[in-house]
Order: sequence, then C-alpha cells, then structure tokens
Amino acid sequence: MSVGLTHYLVVSLLLFCLGLFGVLVRRNLLVMFMSLELMLNAANLALVAFARYHHNLSGQIMVFFIITVAAAEVAVGLALIVALYRQRRTAHVEDLASLRL
Amino acid sequence: MDDLILIGPELAVLITGLAVLLLDLWAPPSQRKTIGYAAAAVLGVVFLGTFAFLLPEPRMAFGGMLVLDELALFFKRFFLLAAGLVLILAVEFSDRLKAGESEYFALILFALAGMMFAASANDFSILFVALELVTIAFYVLASFQRHRTRSLEAGVKYLILGALASGFLVYGIALVFGLSGTMNFTRLAQAPEAVLSSPLFELGLLLVFVGLGFKIAAVPFHIWAADVYEGAPAPTTAFLAVGSKAAGMVLLLRVLHGAVPALVDRAQPVLMVVAALTILYGVLCAIPQQNLKRLLGYSSIASAGYLLVGVAALNAAGLSAVLYYLAGYLFTVLAAFLVIALAFPNVDSEEIGALAGLHERAPLLAAALALALVSLAGVPPLAGFFGKFLLLKAALAAAGGTPGLYWLLGVAIVGVVISLAYYFGVIRTMYWEPHPPTSPSSPSSPSPPCLAVPTPMRVALWLCIAGMLWLGVMPGSILNLTDLAVQSLAPAVPVP
Repeated sequence: MSVGLTHYLVVSLLLFCLGLFGVLVRRNLLVMFMSLELMLNAANLALVAFARYHHNLSGQIMVFFIITVAAAEVAVGLALIVALYRQRRTAHVEDLASLRL
Repeated sequence: MDDLILIGPELAVLITGLAVLLLDLWAPPSQRKTIGYAAAAVLGVVFLGTFAFLLPEPRMAFGGMLVLDELALFFKRFFLLAAGLVLILAVEFSDRLKAGESEYFALILFALAGMMFAASANDFSILFVALELVTIAFYVLASFQRHRTRSLEAGVKYLILGALASGFLVYGIALVFGLSGTMNFTRLAQAPEAVLSSPLFELGLLLVFVGLGFKIAAVPFHIWAADVYEGAPAPTTAFLAVGSKAAGMVLLLRVLHGAVPALVDRAQPVLMVVAALTILYGVLCAIPQQNLKRLLGYSSIASAGYLLVGVAALNAAGLSAVLYYLAGYLFTVLAAFLVIALAFPNVDSEEIGALAGLHERAPLLAAALALALVSLAGVPPLAGFFGKFLLLKAALAAAGGTPGLYWLLGVAIVGVVISLAYYFGVIRTMYWEPHPPTSPSSPSSPSPPCLAVPTPMRVALWLCIAGMLWLGVMPGSILNLTDLAVQSLAPAVPVP
C-alpha cells in the first residue's frame, strides 16, 4: 500500500480536530496553548502534502512562514502566561474572571 | 527596485519603529515623550508622502504578491492617520505604563506596518503574515500594563482566542491552496468553476472568513472583544477598535471581491445572517454596561455588523459606504478614546458614573465625547449618521433582488434606535448629573478640580472633531476617494 495524499489529509484533519478538542475541553492555559500549536501543525502537514501533490513550492514556503509566526506567538504567549502566573499563582481559565459583564 | 518603492511607506514605518527602539537606548528617560511625538511626526510625513503615488492603474510587486491600487492607498492613509493619533494618545498615556514606553510606541508602529501590508495583500501568504504581525503586536500591547491584572487577563484572552482564529485561518488557507493549487488572489480569480464549487474549497474559504471575522469582531467570533476592550490600556483599545477592524475589513474585501468574485453570490446569505446577528448582539449587550470602554467594545461589535451590511449589499455603493463609514469611525472612536484617557486619570475605573459633571471640569472633553457618541448613535449632521445612511441606502438599492436584505435593513434600523438609548445615557451623565464630592474629607469644596488638557491632545481632539464634522457636512470629497478605491477592486489585473 502506498501512502497518498488522502492519508496525509486524514492525519492532518485528525490532528486539527484533536487540537480543537483540546482547546475546547482542557482548562489549563499551557495545555490549551499546546493544542493551538497542534492545530497550526495540522495545517502545516496539509500544506506540505498539497505542495507535493501540486508540485508547487509555495505551499512549503507558507509552512516556513507558519513555523516562524508560531515561534513568535509561543514566545509572546508563554511570556504572558508566566506573567499572569506570577501575579495570580494560577494558569487556569476559570480564574480569569475579573472581566465580566 | 520598483518593488521596494511600492512598499516604501511600509519600509519607512518599520525603520521608524526600529529607530524608536534604538533611540531609547541613548535617550534619557525624560526624553521618551519626545521620541513618541517624533514618531507621530514621521507618520504625518509618510501620510503626506503617500499622495506622491499616482496610480493610473494598479501596480503589482514581488511577483503579484502585493498590489498597490487606490484601495490599498486609501487604507494605508487611514492606518497612518489612525496610528499617528494613537501615538499622541500613547505619549499622554505613557506615565501609566510604568515601564517600556518606547517599546510601546515601537509596537504600535510594527502593528501599523502589518496593517499597511494587509491593505496591499494579494496573496494568502502575505495575508497571513500581515495579519499575524498585527495580532502578535496586539498581544503585547493589550497586556502592557503588567502590574494590572485586568490588562494581563485581557492579553491572555486575546492570545488564546486570537491563536484559535489563526489556526482556523491557516487550515482554511491550506484547503484553498490544496484545491486550487495557488495562493495568489489574481490567479485564484481565474480558477475553473469545478474547483470553486467543490465543498472542500468552500469549507476552506469559510475557515478563512472565520479568521477575518475574528479581527473585525463579528458574531460568533466576537467573544474576546468586550473583555479585551475593557482590560487593555486605552491607546491599545483605540488602535484595536480602528486599525485592527479596518485591517480585517480590507482583507475581507480583497478575498471576497479579489480572489473569489464568482462565489460572492453564494456568500451573501451568510454575510446577511452574520451582519444581523452582530448588530443585534452589539446593541443589546451594550444597554446594561456601566464601563465606558466596555460599552464602546459592544458598540464596536455593532459597527462591525453595520459594515457587513454594506458588504452584503454586494454593490459598489455598499463598498464605498463601508470605506466612508470606516473613515468616520476613525475620527469618532479616536475622539472618544482621547477623552477616556484624559477623563479617567486613575486606570482602574472607567465607570460612566465618574463622568458626572464633566462639562464643568473640562468643557472641551465633554463636548468632544458628546459629539463622538452622537456620531456613533447616527444623528445628523455628523460622520456616523452619513455612514449609516449610505450603508442602508446601498442595501435598499440591492434589496430588489434579494428580499432578505429588507429584513437586514429592519434589524439595522432597530439597532440604531436601541443604540440611541445608551449613547444618550452617557451624555446625560456628563451634562445633567452633578459631580460627586471629590473626597469625603472636604465635602464643602465648591468646585471640583478642572482637568488639564495638554496641547498635543488638544490638537488631536480638534482634529477628530473637525474630521467628524467635515465628513458629515461635506461627504462629497471623501466619497470621490472611496468610489475610486472601490473601482480599483475589480480583479481585471493580469498577473505578471
């Protein structure tokens, strides 16, 4: 059995759904953030597979952009979560309740 | 070289941002405000410099990835003007940041560069990078007051929901690329019908719109808006309301009319439903608000709905009205936030009740805020009235073909009527409620302390007031510009 485009896409869709599920279900900010990265990587996998399928490298270039942007996002995001943890001693979403209706 | 000239304004903004960071190393702390004013002055020069571009026809750069047309120029001027005013506001606000004033100015400039690139985007990779440049800068800007829990919390909420929206956006781009084999808007516009009608392609496009809907705060991707608007520092909120929303809007127009003009008709029902829900959600949730920044957050959600009415009308008049509304929104919202920064010197309360008697303490501030709220409510002869009027008129003109637009019009008018109530509530507080005694120890003090308005803020305020009145009284001049911008959106440009 040869591994084709469909296989990659199914794996990528599974990864995306896993990530989305993690964001919606988990309540720890760090775990949510990891799940968000999973969603980005699902898109990366799909882009690489499509680029190979179309013999068009712009998909792979896009992956490099996404990896770079994700790195920047993680740098800022972790700094924010650490700053919040230092102030509130918590990394749970339920405790983020000082802004309410 | 030609390509570099076309992105000259962006390069100038980026270099200014880096220069601000470098200058901070050598300048003494007392000179930091001067750096901010200098950066605002440079933005003014770049703004004037954009008028040197004469475009008989749209020009492409970097292999068709960027396009410079009248629409791009209109939005670049819009963003430069907004960022200049926000910088003046940020300098005034810098005492309350506690640390890193220059970094704050630099981040505003980097976000501005992202918005300007977004205005020119003609490729999904540019769309993504520009949007993320804006978003990541705003993560930091929103949480800049690290000593305030609310500011941090706003930043974290924006971070999680923003990253979620980017996840959807990127997956959508992957699907669109996978089915069409191209990231370029111009080439995508020539894709065969078989590709366009495949459900997976439509799903991809829908996911892209989720990402953009997050930026403009349209229901159901609006959840972050009210919390972030309330918690973030005032200059950040102002820039978020004006710049980030306009960046999302210009990308929505580029994708919808530049990349997939063949699918616009199929997108119309979705746009109409989203517009109606957004208007209703914004106005209904704004009614009980006690915090002025939160109130403006919900009002900005409602404004996103009105903008989508113009997009859903699918005619040139509607798009022109969208641009006009945004121009009026710039002056209106910035006027409101300039007043908020001055009238609430202690950061943790932006309660509307604290505005009582503002017209005695600071007549200019009270007048400016009243004008801004009246304009947001849509009362003639201000910019906000004419914007809403043009949007509804365009929708009415298009409603003959799609009866659903009549319903949308009805919702929009109901929204305007409801919004009158809460905007005028704020004005009543400012003018007709007595100022509470300033401190319990000296209740006999006859007059409350006057609020000082520094000269740069005074200039910025007068500029905003003049803008609101000018747009409202003489809409013709700006409408010429918006019509020109809308004409250039037609995807008739060949790819080099």
